[in-house]
Amino acid sequence: MPPAATTDSHLLKKDHLKGFLRKLSKEYRLVAPVRNRHSDVLFTVIDDLDGMEIELTEPPQNSLKQFFLPQQEQLSTYSVTPEGYEFHPTQAIIPPTVYFGVHPCDLSSVLYMDVVFSRRQRDPFYLRRRQGSVLIGINCNFPSPNCFCNATGSGPFIEMGSDLQLTDLGDRFLVETGRAPGHALIKRWQGFFSPAEAKDRAARYQAFLEARGRFSRQVHVEQAIRRLEAGTVPEQVWEDLSLRCQDCGGCAYVCPTCTCFTISDQQRDAVSGQRLRNWDACTFAGFTAMAGGHNPVVAKTAAIRQRFEHKLRDDVRLTGRPSCVGCGRCVGICFGGTDIIRFVERACQGSL
Amino acid sequence: MPQTITDIYLPRQAKVVQIEIENSQISTFVLAFSAPLFNENFRYQPGQFMLVSMPHCGEAPISISSTPTRPGTIHLSVRRAGKLTNAMHGLRVGDTLGLRGPYGRPFPMKELQGRDLLFVAGGIGLAPLRAVINACLDQERFGALTVLYGSRTPSDIAFQDDLALWQQQGVDCRLTVDAAEAGWAGAVGLVTCLMDGLTPDLSRSTALVCGPPLMFKAVLGKLAAMGFSDEQVLTTMERHMKCGVGICRHCHMDGKLACVDGPVFSLAELRRLKIMELAEAPASAARTSTTDHLR
Repeated sequence: MPPAATTDSHLLKKDHLKGFLRKLSKEYRLVAPVRNRHSDVLFTVIDDLDGMEIELTEPPQNSLKQFFLPQQEQLSTYSVTPEGYEFHPTQAIIPPTVYFGVHPCDLSSVLYMDVVFSRRQRDPFYLRRRQGSVLIGINCNFPSPNCFCNATGSGPFIEMGSDLQLTDLGDRFLVETGRAPGHALIKRWQGFFSPAEAKDRAARYQAFLEARGRFSRQVHVEQAIRRLEAGTVPEQVWEDLSLRCQDCGGCAYVCPTCTCFTISDQQRDAVSGQRLRNWDACTFAGFTAMAGGHNPVVAKTAAIRQRFEHKLRDDVRLTGRPSCVGCGRCVGICFGGTDIIRFVERACQGSL
Repeated sequence: MPQTITDIYLPRQAKVVQIEIENSQISTFVLAFSAPLFNENFRYQPGQFMLVSMPHCGEAPISISSTPTRPGTIHLSVRRAGKLTNAMHGLRVGDTLGLRGPYGRPFPMKELQGRDLLFVAGGIGLAPLRAVINACLDQERFGALTVLYGSRTPSDIAFQDDLALWQQQGVDCRLTVDAAEAGWAGAVGLVTCLMDGLTPDLSRSTALVCGPPLMFKAVLGKLAAMGFSDEQVLTTMERHMKCGVGICRHCHMDGKLACVDGPVFSLAELRRLKIMELAEAPASAARTSTTDHLR
């Protein structure tokens, strides 16, 4: 669908939010950040709107990646019959889904995945999940301690790619339309919305200014990008990081833009099985190993180098921006101290 | 909005038409897609590869060793290296396997027209070059063709029928072995020893090199000494691959991907990359982490 010609803004009273979501959930599968009984905030399929607590301030621990690229999915099944070895396509039915409460970092990561899965070849599994999706974003008034989307150009407020974006203005949300499906939602359920006025738009701008001032970290991503492109990151940085990386793959799993995968067969019986795609991580030692054991990436620093050069050099060359969206999830999960903030800090040492 | 997107991951069935046993480790499988119309319309270019499926073995990238100038079948010359290729060596005529492709950037055949071509290969490395050599012979638009081929022992020499045929068709084929056996009267030593007597016209020559990493480095040194520029040297790279179409990133090479940016590269392109094949010092043998994932 073509992008809408104009952006217009509306108000949604907080008291009306559940009603609006209830309408949406009648026609779409609804996914939103939910605080569970362990107090974890996770993007969850909403099946009981009244029994679930939607959390829009604290960022969810998982990203939207798993909904578009599941940790494991079947690509096909195969069988060996008298007619020979045959593959049978898998066509999962993906219900049209509204992703509600998407933070700017996660929205940027979906736009990046769109590039990965359609630039060279159109990946049918990703695109089937993506085609029926509606993205309703929430701007971040209160960035979390590990957040640095201000340094990666992906926040704290949404610039593009959403169908609707919400800004929390206290007792109400300012709702701005983005892509055409967002306009259609407002039109369809206009009873929930009232026109926004100049003072509401001014309040949004004030919220943006305050959010921008609330980042607790200054991460010099641009400078690390320049040093990677110039090849001036000291070898010692890679050696230290590779020594401390424990090869757990946690960073890749929580990363909303790590999309590397592996494909393997799972045998069911002697004559049949399924072909699976699973998340993989470029930091795993076996990621590049070939049959017979030869590995062209054996230098112990090469795997960790690939992780950061891909995100902060190769993807900048390709798309003009890093594929790190500054969500800080890898910072929270890495116990070896080799997360992307630690890398940027080391890469920039001595150059400030 | 139902919209069909081609399933790029779905292999097609192909049948084994013929098997040529090249040596104890290498066989050439002559294959045709089971769907006749698809087989008739299937097109590829020298230097491209296929992803081969065998039951319960997943997929592996194999370069096409036949020439598109002889349509109807495709040849995959396969050395026993791992689970999948060993399973292939158990195939018989009439058996089936899965194929998808062709993938990858091919050799620049148009640019090579009119030039003298020096092929330097070791072992299975002759497979992708065989596609180019036969295309050259079929098209008659190329200059002098020279093939230098190194094998471990005389009984390891693969593609013997091809070499004999090429010699008959005017290709200067020279062989060497690492270790001679009784009755071997030819050259003994690395394939570089065959390069000593050559006097190529550098203004119109291109070298195409494919072989194991040690041979590759030695040949590059020799070609440079002979006066070949980096632009005049082409090779095809071997990497672990999963998707074959530039998404999964298993074949990363310092910002390039072997599956879509290659597998064919000029040496000038490779020199800009930090890759193991061109590393100054020998890379350390293995990572020392105690949590290495053994695959």
